[in-house]
Amino acid sequence: MKKLARGAALAVLAGTVATACAPGTAKTATSADKQTGTVKVWLYDEANRAPKEQVVAQAVADFKAKHAGVEVEVSYIPTDAGPRAEKMKGAFNDPSSAPDVVEFGNTDLFGYTASGGLADITSDLAGWEEGKDLPQDLKDTAVVDGKTYGLPWWLGVRALYYRTDVFTELGLQAPTSYAELKSAAEKVRAAHGDLLGIAVGGKYTFGALPFVWADGGDLATASGSAYTSAIDSAQSQAGVKAYTDLFTDAICPAQQCADLTGGKTVESFAAGKAGMAILPNSSRSAVEAGAAAGKYAIVPLPGAEAGKIAPAFSGGNDLGVMKSTQHRSLAVDFMKELASKKNQLALFDAMGNLPTLSSARAEVVQKQPWLKPFTDTIEAGTKFVPKDAAWAKIDAQNVVPTMLQKVITGKSDVAGATKEAAAAMNTSFSGK
Amino acid sequence: MPATTVTARADQGDSPVRPAGGAPAGARRRTGPLARIPVPLWLLLPAALVLIPLFGYPLYQLGLLSVLKFGQPQASGGVPTEFVGLSNYTDVLGDEQFWTVLGQTLAFAAFCVLTTLAVGATCAVLLTRVGKWPRLMLMFGALGAWAAPAMTGSTVWMFLLDTNSGLVNEVLGTQGHNWMYDKWSAFAMVAVVVVWHSFPFVMITLYAGIQAIPDSVLEAARLDGAGTVTIFRRIMLPMLRPLLVIVVIQSVIWDFKVFTQIYVMTGGGGIAGQNLVLNVYAYQKAFVAENYSLGAAIGVLMTLILLGVTAIYIRSLRRSGEEL
Amino acid sequence: MISKRDNRVLRQGANTVAVVLALLTVFPLYWMVLSALKPKGEITSAHPRPWTFAPTLENFRNALGVSGFGRYFLNSLAVAVVVVVVSAAIAFLAAVALSRFKFRFRTTILIMFLVAQMVPVEALTIPLFFLVRDIGSVAPGFGLSSLGSLMLVNLAFSLPFAVWMLRGFVAAVPESLEEAARIDGASRFTILWRILFPLVAPGLAATSVFSFITAWNDFVFAKTLILDTDHQTLPAALMVFFKPDENDWGGIMAASTLMTVPVLVFFVLVQRHMVSGLGGAVKD
Repeated sequence: MKKLARGAALAVLAGTVATACAPGTAKTATSADKQTGTVKVWLYDEANRAPKEQVVAQAVADFKAKHAGVEVEVSYIPTDAGPRAEKMKGAFNDPSSAPDVVEFGNTDLFGYTASGGLADITSDLAGWEEGKDLPQDLKDTAVVDGKTYGLPWWLGVRALYYRTDVFTELGLQAPTSYAELKSAAEKVRAAHGDLLGIAVGGKYTFGALPFVWADGGDLATASGSAYTSAIDSAQSQAGVKAYTDLFTDAICPAQQCADLTGGKTVESFAAGKAGMAILPNSSRSAVEAGAAAGKYAIVPLPGAEAGKIAPAFSGGNDLGVMKSTQHRSLAVDFMKELASKKNQLALFDAMGNLPTLSSARAEVVQKQPWLKPFTDTIEAGTKFVPKDAAWAKIDAQNVVPTMLQKVITGKSDVAGATKEAAAAMNTSFSGK
Repeated sequence: MPATTVTARADQGDSPVRPAGGAPAGARRRTGPLARIPVPLWLLLPAALVLIPLFGYPLYQLGLLSVLKFGQPQASGGVPTEFVGLSNYTDVLGDEQFWTVLGQTLAFAAFCVLTTLAVGATCAVLLTRVGKWPRLMLMFGALGAWAAPAMTGSTVWMFLLDTNSGLVNEVLGTQGHNWMYDKWSAFAMVAVVVVWHSFPFVMITLYAGIQAIPDSVLEAARLDGAGTVTIFRRIMLPMLRPLLVIVVIQSVIWDFKVFTQIYVMTGGGGIAGQNLVLNVYAYQKAFVAENYSLGAAIGVLMTLILLGVTAIYIRSLRRSGEEL
Repeated sequence: MISKRDNRVLRQGANTVAVVLALLTVFPLYWMVLSALKPKGEITSAHPRPWTFAPTLENFRNALGVSGFGRYFLNSLAVAVVVVVVSAAIAFLAAVALSRFKFRFRTTILIMFLVAQMVPVEALTIPLFFLVRDIGSVAPGFGLSSLGSLMLVNLAFSLPFAVWMLRGFVAAVPESLEEAARIDGASRFTILWRILFPLVAPGLAATSVFSFITAWNDFVFAKTLILDTDHQTLPAALMVFFKPDENDWGGIMAASTLMTVPVLVFFVLVQRHMVSGLGGAVKD
């Protein structure tokens, strides 16, 4: 036993005695400004990405025509919170395999900035001619401590997609309140056992949040720059209950829906397997490519009271330049190329992504009447997640999905699950 | 057994295969010709060159990280690290989820080990009782399952169990049933895959062991009037003991550290994290929640638990007169 | 006494059970290959059938062509082969030291080899990630996103078990042979290389199976250390088929088949040595 003790002690001691040398001492990324080489770009791998790829390919060709001898390498990265966070973290930790230009969700910006991953592009955007057209409130979503770290690329707002053929057959009207939504969903599934009344998902944070907001709840409240979770307030709890009440065998069975992500609900509705779904404008192309094409309509997601619109999450993606880039001006140029009016319009045609440039947006709204429910939703007022570095962490740790799933699977009641989620959020907000 | 072998091996106290009590403990004569080499340690040098920097040093760093505050801002943002003592440990140990995860890790590992051993041993015995073709078939099937990488095994079983297009639901007539929905159902499915992957090792090892017992020994015992049970207990079991020990300890190590199957099949820990095991939990804390130091603390605790198992194992070896 | 007739019935029963078990065990693999060969429509059909009348290589073509699986395959192979060869050489030397010699700390070192197997390697990914990152700034060939880093790391994690297992095989070789060679005037190196090595070879084959599996199956290191898709290995690359919208099961199964075949080949090649080798550990 003596020798065992010695062997074990050696191994353990090696692990627990802390002395001087710190692990992987942080290296601050150093950027460079080479004028040749390859610009690496990471974009989101969205459902039905082929049309997006075409737009990007065209943008790359245009860019290369302007910059001789420069290559552009585009990779598509996972969109799910966990894998996406891992991927970005890798890039921050290892500048050599990091991209130069990156697409990211507007909610991720605060976390990425705190990690020191993004370059300050305030001056680059100030001198961008086309960018004058970018509304100030949008620009502000990418500002931390007075510095701009992202270029808002497109907007995504969610509204309610529903199957017109099924609704007509059952004599249903588009729902105008939560109560109507729920009863319509039940009727759809009662008549068509193979359809989900409404495709909702336990991992679909941005599908659930409108319900929370509609009931007057919120993720967190700010006092100064400090956030405190409010997900366990009475109003928030009512919203969580409203959303999770949709996970019944009569609407969207927990067995099938508890683990669905937003992307899966897109797939479900597009494949004609759901009567309704809460999808962003950018998912329209996927729906058009699926079995539900031509058999659906869109209305704003109804709020708690009749006639009100549930506040939507003001979603969208930004483009940014990595702090570690070795091709700073090329990266900025390519970012501007992607975000040009021409490409924003093309991206809208391809994917239904709403342009950020005011003139481009006005153009498409005029041309495309189907956008009306989305613009109505925006006008009714949108909401955002806490503008705090902690949000990326909360998102990556699946705090909200875990809360929803606990309620859906009956592991916990609404009060218990929201309280737990609030505690987890506050831990993150306090920087622990 | 030639007599020379026996004498030459008399001081070989470390063979895992020597029947218990065969060597006089403390015999430290150097008889082998290689023993003249002044320092046998140079033979270990290449191993040390690999293991110290790539195993020992990271292990040390793991311990170090666990007493620091080390998140993404420290890793890439230029924020200095900070010594926080044992606060990561108190955080982990004070977290209810850790205890839940620990409990299910232990239960899951124990279940997998026992099932693997039971299935593997049964099949090994079965192999000695069947004709040539059934034996070859079972051997071949087992080799296939053994050879299948954890990753592909997981994907194939996921496909078989798929809610909508899986064969299992089709055969059972349970379309739309989500096998990964219920916590224990999900664990059971992962366990099936783990056992499918690991029983062949047990089966083939034990079968080889049984085959290697000289017929003459069994014959002699039978002539002495020993029954099947006696032969099993008195002859086969002691002779198989070293192999059994290897098989048990390897199963414990492997099953306690299952990562790929859980990670892939339950999508990183299951619905609301219900299928987390320590390994995946630590990974999530470190690489997803960006709390590297908390993940490291969990890693240290896990290592300590497995060390405990090792200690029990070595002690029981010593008790029974076995030497390492 | 059991009559001969009963014996035959018993044997028939055992045969049947063995065949059924064999079929059950091999079925998932059969399903994998079959699904890889099925045309698209049949895979997602609501009523899967255990056969296909229209086998196609389309899924394989997609995997190898469109998704660049050929490249990941070669990456995996390179890592596995290097790990197997180097690990066998190092483990052999270490095993000789640990089973042929008595020296101070021998037991301590042995225990450390055992303890090393206990360490949850996944937890070590955290410090290893930073270590490899730092190595990369000195030797880019072994930094993040390099196959070299995977080789080193998998080597380190396959060694303890290889040494532990090989030790038994070395010990099983009678020392009298070395003694005889020494009397004939053979050098230490000759004894090691010409006498001991060939005799331990079956054990090495058995051991190398485990090293091969460690390297070939490694998912967690490939996932953490390789950030650049070009240098990805198979297990992590397989994840690209899992799409947010719909899993491409045909592609997944084709890729899984490609990933399983080399291991199966390797197994069949060393199978005899493996069984006799493991058995040899009991035989004296």
